[in-house]
Amino acid sequence: MTTDTSRDHSPSGVSSGSGALRKVAVHGVMIFLSLVSIFPIYWMIVTSLRPENEIFSTTLWPSDPTLENYVFVLTRVPMLQMLANTTIVAAATAALQVVTGLFAAYALVRWRMRLAGVVHGLIALSWLVPFQVTMIPNYVLASRLGLLDTLTGLIVPNAAHAFAILLLYHGMRSFPVEILEAARIDGAKSWKILWQIITPNMGAPIASLSIIAFISAWNEYFWPLLLSRKPENSVVQIGLQMFMTQEGNLWGPLMAAAALASLPILVIYLLLQRHVIESFMKSGIR
Amino acid sequence: MLRRTTLKLTAAFTAASLLPFGAFAEMPAAVDKPITITFYNYNLASASAGADATKELIAGFEKKFPNIKVEPVAVPSNEIMSRVQADIVAGQQPDVAQLVFRDLIYIANDLGANALEDMVSADELKTHFTGMLPQGLELGKVDGKTYGLAYTFSTPILYYNADLFKQAGLDPDQAPKTWDDVALAGKAIKDKTGKNGFFPGAYGPVDGTFVYQAIVMSNGGKVRDGDTLTFAGSNAADAVKMLREMVDSGAHAKIDPASAGDTFAAGNMGMFLYTSALLSSIKKSAAGKFDLRLAPMPSFGEKPTAPTNSGSALFVFSQDPEKQRASYELLKYLTSKEAYTIITSKIGYLPLRLDIVDDPAYLGQWVKDNPMFRANLKQLDHLTANIAFPGPNYRQVEKMMMDSVREAIFGSGDPVATLKAAQEQGQELMP
Repeated sequence: MTTDTSRDHSPSGVSSGSGALRKVAVHGVMIFLSLVSIFPIYWMIVTSLRPENEIFSTTLWPSDPTLENYVFVLTRVPMLQMLANTTIVAAATAALQVVTGLFAAYALVRWRMRLAGVVHGLIALSWLVPFQVTMIPNYVLASRLGLLDTLTGLIVPNAAHAFAILLLYHGMRSFPVEILEAARIDGAKSWKILWQIITPNMGAPIASLSIIAFISAWNEYFWPLLLSRKPENSVVQIGLQMFMTQEGNLWGPLMAAAALASLPILVIYLLLQRHVIESFMKSGIR
Repeated sequence: MLRRTTLKLTAAFTAASLLPFGAFAEMPAAVDKPITITFYNYNLASASAGADATKELIAGFEKKFPNIKVEPVAVPSNEIMSRVQADIVAGQQPDVAQLVFRDLIYIANDLGANALEDMVSADELKTHFTGMLPQGLELGKVDGKTYGLAYTFSTPILYYNADLFKQAGLDPDQAPKTWDDVALAGKAIKDKTGKNGFFPGAYGPVDGTFVYQAIVMSNGGKVRDGDTLTFAGSNAADAVKMLREMVDSGAHAKIDPASAGDTFAAGNMGMFLYTSALLSSIKKSAAGKFDLRLAPMPSFGEKPTAPTNSGSALFVFSQDPEKQRASYELLKYLTSKEAYTIITSKIGYLPLRLDIVDDPAYLGQWVKDNPMFRANLKQLDHLTANIAFPGPNYRQVEKMMMDSVREAIFGSGDPVATLKAAQEQGQELMP
């Protein structure tokens, strides 16, 4: 047994002093970085409270704070309707991606097909195809199906995603085969195995996927821009764009709308902080 | 067999591609049964005064023509062309669209917009055009035919901050008239107040090329002549050299072009040359902060200025004669005296009908209450049409030109050589 006694020889004051100094330095850097991260959000809220002729002021707090920008946003743009639409679209997209992802992942894991590798590769490749390439064919199809200007039209094209399939596929592959075999011997069919055995044990990847798919659908801009024809049938990201006009940018209302648009995501983050951070750490930022 | 199928397919495609350009069946004289037309509009995709005014105009039209229902399609201005294209591909033929002038030739030649002369009888068109500014009607013409009817448009005006003028020892009542005046005032403001002197909204990202073209054409230059690019020609290049000299002397600010409007509205710039459409927004920011003044765009010495137009025109795409009639009625209504009263007083664009300016039944009182607007009206006499680029690569050519202009003005190389190199490259993309 060896013991490192070198620390015992150094004067205890120096050791704890340098440790404390290091702690202060680390905390200092972290506090600074936190402030840098929080400042834009703070500035967004402060700007949303400034009257129009104080918009470009650089004071840290408006001399005469007002809620008129929020009133403007809520009365001039159907912002609440847009927030509701976005919630529906994001929640439905996330739920459908989980379901379609589970089906596809189970199929790839359970049945060893001859071309499984090719299928897997094609799914992975489809992830690399930029949206702009499929945008017009998707639009033409949506138009023929009568989905223009509908929430269904916003949800359906994103109901399945390569990322969802791959994430769940990798989660499912590490699932012990013995348990599945045992279930099969007991007479369980695929449907039962998927929903009663695998899914309850895939909490972490499903939570990660749901959070990432929700946030990604919440931030979606191009597809709703192309598909929606009236503001009341559109989503919040399009609503934000409405304050950047040919007749100048309406910064106050834009910041008020941005604050409103980020609230639901902020609530999700506060409630599921650990899961959100883990999702992004595990899956990379999409 | 294969050959026959190919021939059939080719014939079908040819017929289909010719459809939008086919001969026009005669429109009925009136719409006597209920009909719905689509109106692609970018003002409606914003929360600005433009949206309110447009809603008011549509409501007024539907009241006057109870048989015609207008279905608005709200799309932001930078996306509206793609949407019209996508809808044509998807078989959702648009009826009326508000599109910008930079896309004029493409809309007329490739997108299949209807020329009003092909759609409407000469007499009827003449009646509606009576009283409209002839230079304004020229804005939407391609090869002598009116494809776009000028709708919401404006010209560059010089906004200036009278307080900064005073602080720099200048007389704010003497607005800069020539580019030499702008250079002197800009330098004085920069030297004495430390704030930015001058910046034109001419370098993107949202303005297209209209301010740049207005400066070039005021010096007798042109960005193209037929299918030949001429933006490196001597007069055009001299205008760019003048701006570069102002940058070198410090009179012209070196800031992010996207932030110029905000920099001026924040009171940090002496002079800003840009569309009058920004007036009401800048006025609100300036209220109680600084003394905002307006002047017509500066000239090169004694040469007359050539203010070009920003903004949009109305295009008709309807194929069905009934819908064409309904669309034309909408066009007529949106360019009527009543409509221009709303467009000018509520959004700030120029009226295409000057006889309403002093008429108390229309804009008379409003112009009295907003004397600043006269600077903009003054320029209408020499309104010069913005030059759009032809051919399928028109946006790329335009981008190459504007990239070279930015490099010539803000870079360190020889401005004329920079423009010439871009002109040669761009020429290869011209039809």
